[in-house]
Amino acid sequence: MLSSLGNPRQAAAQLMNFGLILSTAFMMWKGLSVMTDSPSPIVVVLSGSMEPAFQRGDLLLLWNRNIASETNVGEVVVYNVKDKDIPIVHRVVRKFGVGPDAKLLTKGDNNSADDTELYARGQDYLVRKDIIGSVVGYIPFVGYVTIMLSEHPWLKTVMLGIMGLVVVLQRE
Amino acid sequence: MAVSAERITVYNLADLKNTSDDAIPNYLNSLKFTQSHRLTDVRLALGYSAFVVAAACFLWDFKFGFESTKYYTAVAVALYSLLNGVLTYWIFSVEKGTVYTGTAPSGETLRISTSTKKNVPEYYLSVEVEQPRKNGGKTETLVVVRSFTNWFDEAGHFVVKPFQSMLASAIPIVGKLDPKRLESSEDQPPAYTSEMLDALTSAGVSAVGTAAETATGADASSSLTGNGKKGGPAGKRRKA
Repeated sequence: MLSSLGNPRQAAAQLMNFGLILSTAFMMWKGLSVMTDSPSPIVVVLSGSMEPAFQRGDLLLLWNRNIASETNVGEVVVYNVKDKDIPIVHRVVRKFGVGPDAKLLTKGDNNSADDTELYARGQDYLVRKDIIGSVVGYIPFVGYVTIMLSEHPWLKTVMLGIMGLVVVLQRE
Repeated sequence: MAVSAERITVYNLADLKNTSDDAIPNYLNSLKFTQSHRLTDVRLALGYSAFVVAAACFLWDFKFGFESTKYYTAVAVALYSLLNGVLTYWIFSVEKGTVYTGTAPSGETLRISTSTKKNVPEYYLSVEVEQPRKNGGKTETLVVVRSFTNWFDEAGHFVVKPFQSMLASAIPIVGKLDPKRLESSEDQPPAYTSEMLDALTSAGVSAVGTAAETATGADASSSLTGNGKKGGPAGKRRKA
């Protein structure tokens, strides 16, 4: 097993296999990003503010191209707020104007008030470029794994360690 | 020397194959074959350039964000898929399980690919010998199938001699370079030693004896010691 590391070509090949697994996963993610034109085409719902449509742990698939029509009232969108790094999933409830400068207001289905409180200081509405995608599909509950991983960071280290060890030790 | 110090699990087909694969270059290079690493080197070059593309993409994405670099990212994704596609093609259609390519001192090129079938403890070698161009450049292919039990003992040690004589007798140009490993010149040990025959006889007795239930225990133990004897001399014989 480990004796194969004595041969430089074999060691290089094993290291390459490990590298290619990581880079293929990354490039698939980037490919999906490019296709959907969204920096983060898959997001996990972290709060219950969109219940009963989406529960905590649901995996959302986003699409960020306006091919057939503009982003309209009623669509569930994911947006980023300046200086906050967690994207928010809420529904567009008001829209003023058309085109890239249209003013959009969002609200969580399960919230009693609209999102003006959540926006950055001095910001009263969203524009199209704040949005990173509209929800076009979802897979219930699958995202709970990532919630677990982000709430217990040591699990990440353990998982990565086990994966690396398995790849290095097996040669098939 | 004749038996490897390292032990493998004899039930692990990948271990059996990998250990045997590793022994082929060792043996052939010792016979003054010149090994060619072209296939491996091309595979490594393809794989590592794909990895470099991905790493570069990761860096600019990390540094400058998605929006300002998305066209470069699109190009990188296309390039990465292309390189990975070529790599897959290379592994499955060009390398095809090749474990050794090399040139004999007399000019023939030799290419050995090996494979196994799931749950079958047999080593499939496909050997391609190409005559040097001045002799017409003819290519000959021969297929050899041998059980791994020929060169692994019960404990999982790799036994060099039977493995090398398998190669020498199966591949004429190897046999020519190493005539003392040819199977015909090797004195074959008898198929069954007298101890093994004894063990077989006692096992036969126990099989008959199972009809009488009281006798079963004693017979089973005698057949066990018989097996122990069988393993002992067999191991010694291989080392000799």
